[in-house]
Amino acid sequence: MNVFISGGCKNGKSMFAQEIARDMAREREVPLYYLATMIPGDDEDRARIRRHIGEREGWGFTTIEQGRDILDALSQEGVDSGGVFLLDSVTALLSNEMFRPDGITDFQAGNRVSQELLRFAEMTGNTVFVSDGIYSDARIFDDYTECYREALATADRALAKVCDQVVEVAYGHKYFYKGDER
Amino acid sequence: MVLIFGGAYQGKLDYVLETYKLCKEDVYRCSMESVHIDYEKKVIYGLDKFVYACVKEGLEAKELIFSHLDDLRDSIIICDDISQGIVPLDRDEREWREANGRCMVNLGKAADEVVRVFCGLGVRIK
Repeated sequence: MNVFISGGCKNGKSMFAQEIARDMAREREVPLYYLATMIPGDDEDRARIRRHIGEREGWGFTTIEQGRDILDALSQEGVDSGGVFLLDSVTALLSNEMFRPDGITDFQAGNRVSQELLRFAEMTGNTVFVSDGIYSDARIFDDYTECYREALATADRALAKVCDQVVEVAYGHKYFYKGDER
Repeated sequence: MVLIFGGAYQGKLDYVLETYKLCKEDVYRCSMESVHIDYEKKVIYGLDKFVYACVKEGLEAKELIFSHLDDLRDSIIICDDISQGIVPLDRDEREWREANGRCMVNLGKAADEVVRVFCGLGVRIK
């Protein structure tokens, strides 16, 4: 079962996603993977990553570092594509793909990442995707930010269309747009 | 009247065209530069942009819209939800957010049907 989870920041999405992924892996008796999408740029990032690692301790996740080219995660040695994958988050992955370290902005990243994510969902069949609702500001953004928002929405909508379960988390409350509650 | 809302780029217009079997010719697209609305069109798209134009002109968007309430009986109004971000630093953007909220609350009351669109999926909340 592929699952898509979104909602505002700091609403409990990650914890909920971890629970779903863990339960799915237990039920199916398959390996459980965490796709780490953040590429640390400074001490603040490294501290956040340490906190996330701590929060996953004892859950049984094998961490796969994959900040870009998400499909490559499946060809890493020892990775079983029949396992359960937690991709947290689509937001970070797209950011890495769009705003490249060489300073170039890839304005086409939205479509490319969407296609790769759809392929990932198809190949694994058991992935929990986490994204962020960043679409309700009363702001007129610069072109880069606006392009990023549109690209993330492209990925979100593509995933919401194919995933078996689509959930919005609002302060711990879960609303199921698609697929029954567990 | 039907009110459709949701965040930016959530597929609100696609949802409307598909659900109500309409085409692009049925749609009036609001502009941030104009306080005009063609009430003859079935779909009024981007009401938030009209509200922004009103703010720029010093007009109360809610009053303008409600003076045309009779024209809106069979309309489908699509509006971005711009209510959930950080309080904008810019005065016009702050006023925009508030004016948009006043429109949405009152249109929501007046509407026969209200739908929220999330990632292309619509949920009828009224």
